[in-house]
Amino acid sequence: MNNATDVRSKGSHAAGDSSGAPGPDPRGAGMRRILDRETRSSRAGVSGIAAILVVVLCGYGLLESAVRAIGQPPWLIDPETAAERIIALPQGMSPLLLGLIGAVTAMVGLFFFLNAVLPGRRARHLLSDPRAGVVVDDEVIASALARRARVAANVIQEQVMVVVSQRQVTVNVRPTSGVPVSENAVLAAVLEELREMDPVPMPEVRVNVATAGVIGA
Amino acid sequence: MNNTPRILNRILIGILGLKMLVIGLLLVLLATVPAVGSWWQHWSAGVWSGMSRLFQRTGIPGRDESWLWAVMALLLVLVIAAMVAWVAQQGKGRSSLLVAEDDAGDFPGSVRIGGGVAEQALRAALAERPDLAGATVATYEIRGEPALKIRLQPRHGVAPHLLAADVSALVEALDAVVGQRTPVLIHISAGARSRFSREERVR
Repeated sequence: MNNATDVRSKGSHAAGDSSGAPGPDPRGAGMRRILDRETRSSRAGVSGIAAILVVVLCGYGLLESAVRAIGQPPWLIDPETAAERIIALPQGMSPLLLGLIGAVTAMVGLFFFLNAVLPGRRARHLLSDPRAGVVVDDEVIASALARRARVAANVIQEQVMVVVSQRQVTVNVRPTSGVPVSENAVLAAVLEELREMDPVPMPEVRVNVATAGVIGA
Repeated sequence: MNNTPRILNRILIGILGLKMLVIGLLLVLLATVPAVGSWWQHWSAGVWSGMSRLFQRTGIPGRDESWLWAVMALLLVLVIAAMVAWVAQQGKGRSSLLVAEDDAGDFPGSVRIGGGVAEQALRAALAERPDLAGATVATYEIRGEPALKIRLQPRHGVAPHLLAADVSALVEALDAVVGQRTPVLIHISAGARSRFSREERVR
């Protein structure tokens, strides 16, 4: 799921990088690098999985080759028998099982490969500050915008839903039945809050007011 | 913020991924295309006969087994050790010193201020705020330089820029106390859940 969304945000990724300050950063020389690293995934978890996978495979190989080196009978399969079976491969195994194993291996390989290649941007925005580097999770921005939109639309918390992504903010408002909600008022309030917040990259705002109202809210 | 070797991570994951992808695709082709099967048997049989000849030539004197098995076991041990070292590199970079330098005075010696000073001062200042559900402060060492990471967990609806401005003022007060401008990262987070998704929905 994460990988699919990575592809979508590729365009904005390049644009976000070009906004770096040209001169020396007053917040410290390494701040640019720190912020770059904070907005991308470190792939630490996937690295751990990959390392464990390699360790398990090598551990089994180690066992069999050590057993072979001291001249003991093999544990699961003799390396020579294994090699002969692999050479004879389409024979000696049901094609369905072979294809299935191949497909699973290829899928796992694709997962690792995409994790290595895709930018892996996190759901975070930067805020400008003269002293410190500031990173904000998108959920926090969404929560602040939702509060502002709720006040502007004069509805309760459950009637506003805000979705923040790298380049877009979507505000969904379900008005109370019989009480009209001004889309422009909500848009203006959210835009003003965003302008005060000034996140980098600056997302666009879209407000959806549902046609069906909520009764008894 | 930490010193996780990101480029190394990506290179090693990429190598592993490509290898598994190639092996998997080969298996699928073996299962589906007969021509690939005959090519594979021809090619791999050639490789294997070369290898078994090598094994026969490298026998331990007086015994049946090749010493190549021992070499292979040693290589595998090295690979395993390298993998363990790789995992140990993840998330490194925490340090305990905020300032460590010569004060250039008349007396020999250097000044060291522990990271706990900044951590406890900031945590105490932030503990009274009603709009924060939690705050943690940690000292890191980035390329030999100390740096502070302040992680704030605001309650729902708190405006992040106002919070950041307040904390930034606290950091400037800390600068005046410590006498040095340390690089500071303020991370306003929504908790562990936000790490797993790109979009966040808040009602």
